[in-house]
Amino acid sequence: MALLRKALSFTVLLVAGPGLAAQGVQAPEYQVKAVFLFNFAQFVDWPPQVVPDSQAPLIIGILGHDPFGGILDVTVRGERRGPRPFEVRRYQRVEDIKACDILFISQSENDGLEEILLSLKNQPILTVSDSPRFAERGGMIHLVTERNRIRLKINLRAVQAANLTISSKLLRVAEIVGPTGR
Amino acid sequence: MALRDWPIKQKLTAILLLISFLVLLLTSAAFVTYEVVAFRQTTVKNLSTLGRVIAANSTASLAFANRADAKEILSALRAEPHVVAAALYDKDGRLFSSYPADLPGDSLPAAPGRDGYRFDRGYVIGLEPVAEVGSARLGTLYLKSDMKAVSRTLRLSAAIAAGVMGISLLAAYLLAAVLQRRISQPILALAETARAVSTRQDYSVRAPKLGEDELGLLTDAFNQMLGRIEEQNRDLRKLITELERSNKELEQFAYVASHDLQEPLRMVSSYTQLLERRYGDKLDDKGRTFIAYAVDGATRMQRLINDLLEFSRISTRGKPLQPVDVNRVLGAVRGNLSLAIQEVGALVTNDELPTVMADETQLVQLLQNLIGNAIKFHGGERPQVHVSAQGAATEWIFAVRDNGIGIAPEYFERIFVIFQRLHARGEYPGTGIGLAVCRRIVERHGGRIWVESTPGQGSTFFFALSTRNGEQAP
Amino acid sequence: MTEAIDVRPVEILLVEDNAGDVELAREALRECKLRNNLHAVGDGVEASAFLHRRGSYASRPRPDLIILDLNLPKRDGRDLLREIKEDETLKRIPVVILTSSAAEEDIIRSYSLHANCYVTKPLGLEQFLKVVRSIEDFWFTIVKLPPR
Repeated sequence: MALLRKALSFTVLLVAGPGLAAQGVQAPEYQVKAVFLFNFAQFVDWPPQVVPDSQAPLIIGILGHDPFGGILDVTVRGERRGPRPFEVRRYQRVEDIKACDILFISQSENDGLEEILLSLKNQPILTVSDSPRFAERGGMIHLVTERNRIRLKINLRAVQAANLTISSKLLRVAEIVGPTGR
Repeated sequence: MALRDWPIKQKLTAILLLISFLVLLLTSAAFVTYEVVAFRQTTVKNLSTLGRVIAANSTASLAFANRADAKEILSALRAEPHVVAAALYDKDGRLFSSYPADLPGDSLPAAPGRDGYRFDRGYVIGLEPVAEVGSARLGTLYLKSDMKAVSRTLRLSAAIAAGVMGISLLAAYLLAAVLQRRISQPILALAETARAVSTRQDYSVRAPKLGEDELGLLTDAFNQMLGRIEEQNRDLRKLITELERSNKELEQFAYVASHDLQEPLRMVSSYTQLLERRYGDKLDDKGRTFIAYAVDGATRMQRLINDLLEFSRISTRGKPLQPVDVNRVLGAVRGNLSLAIQEVGALVTNDELPTVMADETQLVQLLQNLIGNAIKFHGGERPQVHVSAQGAATEWIFAVRDNGIGIAPEYFERIFVIFQRLHARGEYPGTGIGLAVCRRIVERHGGRIWVESTPGQGSTFFFALSTRNGEQAP
Repeated sequence: MTEAIDVRPVEILLVEDNAGDVELAREALRECKLRNNLHAVGDGVEASAFLHRRGSYASRPRPDLIILDLNLPKRDGRDLLREIKEDETLKRIPVVILTSSAAEEDIIRSYSLHANCYVTKPLGLEQFLKVVRSIEDFWFTIVKLPPR
């Protein structure tokens, strides 16, 4: 069933794509994932030196094809994490990323994933994706859709390598995965 | 029995106990109330602390829709047995997870209400916002705790308070019973003395003075009063003895005087008569008339002396007053006057007569004089005398009514004066002492006597005497 | 054997200090049917002498009746009464107390001392005469006296 839905939504995405994005109608799946992205901000601490000033916006970036449409923007609009307001940016190429706190890597970049991750290595950016085996491949948080529920898989080593701290509360609700994967 | 009539001991003890009880009650009530209020607040505080802890731990579960984790967190509430229900609602107000597992479906509200902690029908309901610090709200934690701990505390406090109150009251009672003596003892001593005085008529007892307070003052005044009464009694007794002695002397004097006066009179009277007997034929009519006048004078003098003696004897030979049935008195008078009644064919009638306080002998004399007068002063027609009595408060007013010659109003007072006569000696006999004797007798009885009359239409003599034992006359 | 009728006059001793009353008694007895001799003495001492036939009274007869006043000078009538009634030879003579006193004590005393009777002197003349005559009548006509 989930597969069908996934296929369906994928098809819709393919067909509607950017047009739909402009109109803002998206599948609930990405609504939830948008909320998750937004929520991750509350459970992650960035090292203080990378935060230019306390009021600096907390940037959520989307790398590659934007599956959210306008949902992510709607979700984070007007919200803050502490003093920091949220901001959504879209990137097409890794090199375009200057300042980003959370980066959602779209499934469209699945093939070049390892290189992307390599180039982002040790940067204090929280990488999130729903690409397959994201955590095993070096990503930090993998959003796994399973039986209508989105589970979390977290690669702690990758998180720690980036000098990020994830709250134990988040860790508790996620599956911790090693870098080599299964 | 009204509070006023309780013995002093009981009153004092009761008052002390009542005050102690009220004080203890107020204190206990205040204490228990404070306990309960404080405990309620503690309960709420504890619950809110619990709520905040749980809420803080539930952020991730809610943020990432992890029901299993939420359930696990909520199940930790097992540790607090007073929490009967708990639930997590997501940020849209939908039920996300609940505790305990077997909770009936309708025990939880469909949507969370206002944040905060409040009391609701015997439960504490708490709604705690779930959010990471400084971040958007992720959902709401609902907690429901029973108040059994509070009621248990209340019952315990109340029981302790009651126990303490009971013991305190007992102690208060014992203390009161002992201390009230300070007040009641002098009062009771005084009351006892008063009772002793009144039952035994003994004015020599004195109340013991047990302090210098107002009761001591009262005791002093009381004793002083007793002393004065004793003194007055002594003086009265002396006076009575003195009067009795004086009375006796007077009686003796009167007797001796009248006796010694009679003797020479007898000589004068007898020899004047003897003179007439032996030498009467040697005298002419005039001479015989002279002798008659002399004899008459001496005879009258004899009678006057007798009357005076009788008059003085009303007081000196008066007996103490006792209940006397006047019907019987009237019977005796009828007997004594039977000859006179028969001679003129008089009719003596009477109503039912009461019993009065009197000297029986003197009462006979009184009625005899009045009825005798009524018969004597008849106006030619058959004398009719009627005796009646009417009750008025504590007196009986007697009336002796006749159909005789009557008395003119200007003489109403004079006739009661000794030796005052309204008629010449030839018209009606008598020395004029009868009514004076009547008045003296009535006055000795503490009453009064008067007359109402119309000349030619008879007279009514009234006199008032006290009822038996001061009772009310009907 | 028929009894000799005693026709001698009766002897009456009157002990009375009031001369007026003595005269009245004499007047009363003068009119009596029975022959009588009235002997009058004025006081208790004389009376005693008369009864014991002492001194000038040696030849006097023994009285058949004594009429005695209580209030006497020298020796009180009550004393004399006691003497008479305690004397073996005199105590059978009837004693009539004739006195002006009506006092109860005197009556009681007199009877206690064994007076035979007690009479109060009346106030009027006629009554007085009647009383004396009655005494004489009673004691000598009705009553039986002991022999001499």
